[in-house]
Amino acid sequence: MKLELGKINISDIQFGSETKLDGGVLCVAADQLKELVLEDEHIATVEFDIAKPGESVRITPVKDVIEPRVKVEGPGGIFPGMIASVETVGSGRTHVLAGMAVVTAGPIVGFQEGIVDMCGPGADYTPFSKTLNLVMVCTPVEGIESHDYERAVRMAGFKVATTLGELGRDAQPDEVETFETPSIKEGMDLYPDLPRVGYVQMLQSQGLLHDTYVYGVDAKQIMPTFLYPTETMDGAIVSGNCVSACDKNPTYIHLNNGVVRDLYEEHGKTINFVGQIITNENVYLADKERSSNQTAKLCRMLDLDGVIVSQEGFGNPDTDLIMNCKKIEAEGIKTVIITDEYAGRDGKSQSLADADVAADAVVTGGNANQVVVLPKLDKVIGTLDYVNKIAGASAETLQEDGSLLVELQVITGATNETGFGYLSAR
Amino acid sequence: MVKEIERAGLPVVHDCTVTPISLTVGANRIVPTIAIPHPLGDPAQTPEEEKKIRRAIVEKSLQALQTEVDGQTVFKD
Repeated sequence: MKLELGKINISDIQFGSETKLDGGVLCVAADQLKELVLEDEHIATVEFDIAKPGESVRITPVKDVIEPRVKVEGPGGIFPGMIASVETVGSGRTHVLAGMAVVTAGPIVGFQEGIVDMCGPGADYTPFSKTLNLVMVCTPVEGIESHDYERAVRMAGFKVATTLGELGRDAQPDEVETFETPSIKEGMDLYPDLPRVGYVQMLQSQGLLHDTYVYGVDAKQIMPTFLYPTETMDGAIVSGNCVSACDKNPTYIHLNNGVVRDLYEEHGKTINFVGQIITNENVYLADKERSSNQTAKLCRMLDLDGVIVSQEGFGNPDTDLIMNCKKIEAEGIKTVIITDEYAGRDGKSQSLADADVAADAVVTGGNANQVVVLPKLDKVIGTLDYVNKIAGASAETLQEDGSLLVELQVITGATNETGFGYLSAR
Repeated sequence: MVKEIERAGLPVVHDCTVTPISLTVGANRIVPTIAIPHPLGDPAQTPEEEKKIRRAIVEKSLQALQTEVDGQTVFKD
């Protein structure tokens, strides 16, 4: 399967009377988009705002971050099973509005959504301080259940992102990248001497708004399965999360998965990147056992020599991570696991809830309990009403001078477990 | 908490869903439960069925508390 990804670099976002792409400048008619969002009876109001890198702006509570894309050639459309039909995606050509993002914000659970700072120390921790952000702050109609509202805001984000993505259909990309995964047999013939490497991506599926969707299917319901990695570049996997923001994958990260990109970079040179196995992180022990058994089985069936496993979230999914690692290693396949740590504010506590000697190659996204001070910024998009309650905050979070004393946990993408963040020991 | 109470000389049964974590942490008597968000119940069942499930787990736990163990034990059935 081969996908061409054409990047249209967005240099600015402005409000105007018409939604259009003018060179690299995206003009947004907010009223048009409002109408689109308010088609959903669960959403009472939506306000659009623009946040640019370097501005003294704090966005919170952030639910999802989405990159606008459009399918230009080949079967299906972006976000299959959500926006487009359930056609298999990942081949042909896709255009990307690069350098920008649609950010959905406003309280859903209230205490679980994240913070994105566009400048200052907070900006150093979130990858979304570097994108031009079109923020949509939504509020729910009265009396609505939070899961119904989560679905409404999730879908509203996808609708706006695909509407904007459509503007890139006929634009000339600034850069075109090509990603190709051969069939199993072709790959063996092409690269007989290269180690066969797979990527096992664990998807957040604990429920209660800790959810991920694959072709529209709730990941709690999936058996581990095998994907061409290019399928994810067309939105086959999307976020339904409202959870500790630092280590959940917003939809933007699924579209731009760093592990996938880096494995493609080495594909045909030092490794044969065979493909991507997706599995879940459910709350029943039997599900954890079944999914890790099936994941290890798929790795064996594909005759992999090595596997990279990325986790999403923390806590009981640490057990899924360790089960995957142990069982894949038991098949004689080398593993590297990518996780993050909850080692306490002083960094002295046990980092993961589970452990095993088979987990002898570990990459960390950082300690989510690390405390940082985020100075007061001039403008807040959204509301600070929940800032003392969000996961990683405390009663002391909002200081007298307006600064925030928080754990990294509150910052969207700060300790991302696909390597999308900026934390590094180097 | 399980370890500290045992250290004080009282036997403890850890009712939990993710038994591998309980094993890693070092509990000696472990009784598996239904699911992480609802360890002693199951919202998919009727309230009457849930009460039966709850009673069965509590009774199994009391049984486990009175059982001599030689090292870490998961009371599966």
